[in-house]
Amino acid sequence: MDRNEILNTVNNVFIDVLDDDNLVLTEATTANDVEEWDSLNHIQLVVAIERQFKIRFASQDILSWQNVGEMVDSIAAKLNQ
Amino acid sequence: MEHPVNYIYNKIAELNPMHGKKLKKNIAFFDDRYYKLADAFFEKYTGILQAQNKSLDYAIDCYLKMIADVNAETIEFLRSGKYSSTTFEEVNQRVYARPETMEYYMHGLIMSQFLWKHHYQIVDFFISNLPAYKAETKSYLEIGAGHGYYLSKALEILNDKASFTVVDISETSIALAKDFVKNNRVEFNLQNIYDYNSDKKFDFITLGEVLEHVENPLQLLVKVNDILSEDGVLFLTTPTNAPAIDHIYLFESADFIRDMIHVAGFKIEKEVDLLTEDVSPERAAKLKIATLYGAFVKKDKAAYL
Repeated sequence: MDRNEILNTVNNVFIDVLDDDNLVLTEATTANDVEEWDSLNHIQLVVAIERQFKIRFASQDILSWQNVGEMVDSIAAKLNQ
Repeated sequence: MEHPVNYIYNKIAELNPMHGKKLKKNIAFFDDRYYKLADAFFEKYTGILQAQNKSLDYAIDCYLKMIADVNAETIEFLRSGKYSSTTFEEVNQRVYARPETMEYYMHGLIMSQFLWKHHYQIVDFFISNLPAYKAETKSYLEIGAGHGYYLSKALEILNDKASFTVVDISETSIALAKDFVKNNRVEFNLQNIYDYNSDKKFDFITLGEVLEHVENPLQLLVKVNDILSEDGVLFLTTPTNAPAIDHIYLFESADFIRDMIHVAGFKIEKEVDLLTEDVSPERAAKLKIATLYGAFVKKDKAAYL
C-alpha cells in the first residue's frame, strides 16, 4: 500500500469517526485544522485506524504525531514490518 | 473578577491543547448557575489547597495526569471491549495502596467535578431534586463520599435536625471530605460498607459513582436496600463504558443498570442518562462513548409481595 492509499484510507476513517463527509486531509493537516479532532476523538481515531489496517500502535507513537503525515509514517512502518 | 474555571481552562489549553479543545466545547453550555456553583466550589477548594501549601496549578497538573491515565485506559478499552482491571485486589495494588497515585487521582477527580459537563449536570440533578425529599429525610448516609461535594450540598439542603453519616473505605477521601464540609454534624466511618453494621435504617442514601468500583454491584445494591428505611430514597450514579484505572465493573448500557436496580428490589422514581460527549445516542453507542447514569430510586414494595 503506498502513502497515497494510506492517506486516503485514513481520510475515510476520519470521515466516519468525526462524522464529517467533507473532511479532506493532507499530510500537513494537524489537530488545529480539524475542529472535531480533540483528545477523545484522537483516541477513537487511533483505535479505528488500528482496526482498519490490522496494526497496533505503541503508546509513544500515539502521543508523538504532529500531523497526519507522521501518522501515515507510523502506519507505513507497521505495514512493512 | 475572572472565574477560576476560565483560568483553569486556559491553563489546560496551554499545557494540553488537544484536551483543552475538548473542554472548551463545554463553555458554550455553561450558564450563570454553573458559574455561581463553580466559583463557590473552586474558592473552597483553593482554600484547601493553600492550607496544604499547594496551588491551583498543582491541581491542574494532577488533573492532566489523570487524563493521561483515562486516555491510556480508553485505548485499551476500545481495543479489547473490557476494563483493564476486574478485581478489587488489582486496583487496590495499582491505585488505592499507592499514596502518590491516590494523591493526583483525587485532585484530578475534584477538578473534573466542574470541568466535565456531565459531572456538573449530575450534581445539578441531585441538587435540584433533593429538596423534594427534605421533609421525610431524618437520616442521611453517603457511601463513598469522595471529595465531599455531594455531602456539602446535602448539609445545605436537608433539615437542620437530620443526622449525617459517611462510610468510606479510603482514608484520603475521608480526610478530604472532612476538609470540604467542615461540619461536626457528620459521623465519618472509615470502613468497607459490607462490614458496616447498623441497626439504624437511613431515610436517604447517596451512592455516587461507587458501583463501578466493586466486583459485585448487585450485592452492594442489596446491602443498600437492607439499610434503607421502608419509604427511604437511594440516589445512585454510575457510568457506562467509562474506563479508568480503578473501574472494575463494566456497565455496557443504561438498560443494564436499570435491570440491576430492579433485581435489587428498587423502582426508579426519576433518572438521567447523560452523554459525556456532544454526539447522538446512536453514535455514542457505536463509538462506545461513556454515559453517566443517575437515578432516585425507592424500594419496590411490589417486589416483596
